Amino acid sequence: MDIKTVEYKNVDEVMHVHEHKSGLKTFVIPKKGYSKKYATFATHYGSINNEFSLGEGEGVIRVPDGIAHFLEHKLFEQEDGSVMDKFSKLGSNPNAYTGFAQTVYLFSCTDRFKDNFELLLTFVQNPHITEESVEKEKQIIGQEIRMYNDNPNWRVFFNLLDAFYEKNPVKIDIAGSIESISKINKNVLYTCYNTFYHPSNMMVLVVGDVEPAEVFSQVEENIIAKDKRPEIKRIFPEDPAGIRKDYIEQKLAVSMPLFQMGFKDINFNSKGIECLKREIAVKILLDMVMGRSSELYNRLYNDGLINNTFGFDYSIEESYAYSAFGGESKEPFKVKERVVEEIGSIRNKGLDQNSYERIKRAMNGRFIRQLNSIERISHMFISVYFKDVNMFDYFNVYENMSFDYVKTVFDEYFNLDNLALSVINPV
Amino acid sequence: MSTLISESRVSQIASVNGIKIFHIKSQKFKTNSINIFFHDDLSKERATKNALLPAVLKRGCEGYPTNRDISLRLEELYGAVFDCGVTKKGESQVIQFYLEYVADKYAKADENLTQKTFDLLLNIITKPIVENNAFKDEYVEQESKNLKEMIEGRINDKVQYAVDKCLEEMCKDEPFGIYDYGSVEELQKINAQNLYEHYKYFLETLPVYVFIYGDLDDKQIKYIIDGLSGIKRGSVKTIGKTGIESKVDDVKNITERMNVTQGKLCLGFRTNVSPDSEDYYKLMLYNSILGGGLHSKLFQNVREKAGLAYYVFSRLEKFKGLMVVSSGIEINNRDKAIEIIKKQLEDIKDGNISNYEYEASIKSIETGVKSLKDSQLHVVDFYLSQYIIGIDDAPNDIIEKVKQVTKKDVVDIAEKIKLDTLYFLTSLE
Repeated sequence: MDIKTVEYKNVDEVMHVHEHKSGLKTFVIPKKGYSKKYATFATHYGSINNEFSLGEGEGVIRVPDGIAHFLEHKLFEQEDGSVMDKFSKLGSNPNAYTGFAQTVYLFSCTDRFKDNFELLLTFVQNPHITEESVEKEKQIIGQEIRMYNDNPNWRVFFNLLDAFYEKNPVKIDIAGSIESISKINKNVLYTCYNTFYHPSNMMVLVVGDVEPAEVFSQVEENIIAKDKRPEIKRIFPEDPAGIRKDYIEQKLAVSMPLFQMGFKDINFNSKGIECLKREIAVKILLDMVMGRSSELYNRLYNDGLINNTFGFDYSIEESYAYSAFGGESKEPFKVKERVVEEIGSIRNKGLDQNSYERIKRAMNGRFIRQLNSIERISHMFISVYFKDVNMFDYFNVYENMSFDYVKTVFDEYFNLDNLALSVINPV
Repeated sequence: MSTLISESRVSQIASVNGIKIFHIKSQKFKTNSINIFFHDDLSKERATKNALLPAVLKRGCEGYPTNRDISLRLEELYGAVFDCGVTKKGESQVIQFYLEYVADKYAKADENLTQKTFDLLLNIITKPIVENNAFKDEYVEQESKNLKEMIEGRINDKVQYAVDKCLEEMCKDEPFGIYDYGSVEELQKINAQNLYEHYKYFLETLPVYVFIYGDLDDKQIKYIIDGLSGIKRGSVKTIGKTGIESKVDDVKNITERMNVTQGKLCLGFRTNVSPDSEDYYKLMLYNSILGGGLHSKLFQNVREKAGLAYYVFSRLEKFKGLMVVSSGIEINNRDKAIEIIKKQLEDIKDGNISNYEYEASIKSIETGVKSLKDSQLHVVDFYLSQYIIGIDDAPNDIIEKVKQVTKKDVVDIAEKIKLDTLYFLTSLE
């Protein structure tokens, strides 16, 4: 069996890789001394993939919003009952999540890893969907949608995406809407499954105190080698270059306003090391401009314009990239004003190299801290995997990051034409 | 003085002036952490002061007089993470100061991060910015405003709000009815002078627990113990035990209205089981069978079979001997959901517990307890809670005891559990 081993000595981690003939890659990151073993089986298919075609000459298929998430729920249904019962009998905790670009099935256990792992690999590859169970799931997911609709943090963020994008599917709620899921049926679920759940479009990751060779053997035994590899053409509608609106407001039952603002990005590489480079550079910049040690954050905090709910982030995926920052504030417009002022001021006086060095070192330290957690390692690994990079590449990126590069990114990234603001106001 | 302790059993390595110090030695994490907990009774007069105090202390200290200075320092220390906050454990309040930093091997050779981070932590706690025998007015005003907004902001998380409100209403004539962070009413009475007075009481008389976690050597441990020994202490108070006895007459029915689309239903119960009794393990299993996960009766019946909810669970509030059942449902389905929930409780009383439910629940608890040791914060919280309750069962002991619980034990415990309050968060009419 062909096993590749890579050592990351600077962070005391090791990664083993094995490729199945179907194209599925399996990764094992051993964590000695940890109780939990965490296995994930992920597919490169998420809420943004609502339009696709299967190879040359094939027509375009448009599926209902929320179907990737719906499918995630349905896979747990098996002919002989719910697979959740089988995991419970083994004492493990199964779960799944659907993101913009991937769907992940997982379990966490402290014992009987082999049985649990076999179950995971088997159930994800064996859908059993009936019309009756589809109808019942519409009720359950309907409640999930309602729960998110009442959640102001979720809404303020999705409204920001709505402000950025006209047609880009990232702005569509991952679970869809009550209306869109009503259109889902067994056939269209199977169409999506057969397209995206081919091993060549998937990956397996196990993190924990396990034997890599045993994990890879199990993969060999349990992965069904489907012969035809579907040629998936992922279709993303053309969106105009700028933002759709610069302000969106909604009223919900909150005690004080919440806001998220951000810059829509249009000049980015969505794959490979270049993608990580840009991500880290933008994150360093955001930290320098508005992080906890910045003048801006502290002035806003001391003036009572923000509080410690304030945070920031930057995301890149294959069809979009944006930064989002915000929190609670009684005066979101004033915060926006100050942000714009500060960016102008930094443009004039330039970025400070000492701050850059200090923040880079702090970010690297915080990244090392993430490696304590099996869940965080798994989540992070998968979130970059389908962009053709490996999470451990972040360390090289930090090491080779240059102040000059960060300065270049600053010059073009903070384009005020791409700045939008989303606010949730009290009713 | 310093003793090597493994994650499977922790004991105290030093005790100075009512400050109990524990060292959990581990090499599997990439960071070390120092957790300092102050322990007080939960009281109307002091709860809000205890909540405001860490926020004010965090604003600046000797050497780092502003929050920006502290943030800069943390960044210099390789991105060390500092936080502080308040929780309640039964009718006591725990004020936590926490600092986590990368282990020596991830920093330059002579950085001595343990010493530098501990110095910062100790300064924040013991050397605040003081002007005219009081805290800085500006800091107190600012943080009071933040705390007020935070308390008022509870409604933003409807799921958590409903659970908290149910339990607070249930216990409104008892100390447990006080919110972890106190109240806006009490907050208005606090100023820079009386908060500083309270701080002296806080620092001098509250019992303290310190957990040092990670790969530290004896020299580093001694440095920390010496630093803690230097804190001026007075006569340390004893914290009272939380009362759990109660008599339920009629079930309290509470409806709250807000602009929501989904109803949040909570049922509050008195379990009449004390966390230090042998019955507690029976209660743990009862709770797991009822609503402790995917295998549970609530999940299977309210969500999977009836399709009424996306989330439904039961949770123990163990220090106060309470249990809450919580679910997000379509507003019109309130009565139907209550009926199904009550049926599950009846089923357990009647001994309708399948082998699957029983075994899956034991395994679920076992997995949960075994998983603790993968997180420093979970291990620390576990041992702190055990200390506060006054028992020294280690994680393995708990697993053994739960495995001894029989179906009949679960049925017997069900008799003690009484529905006290039914709370529903619903839409405006």
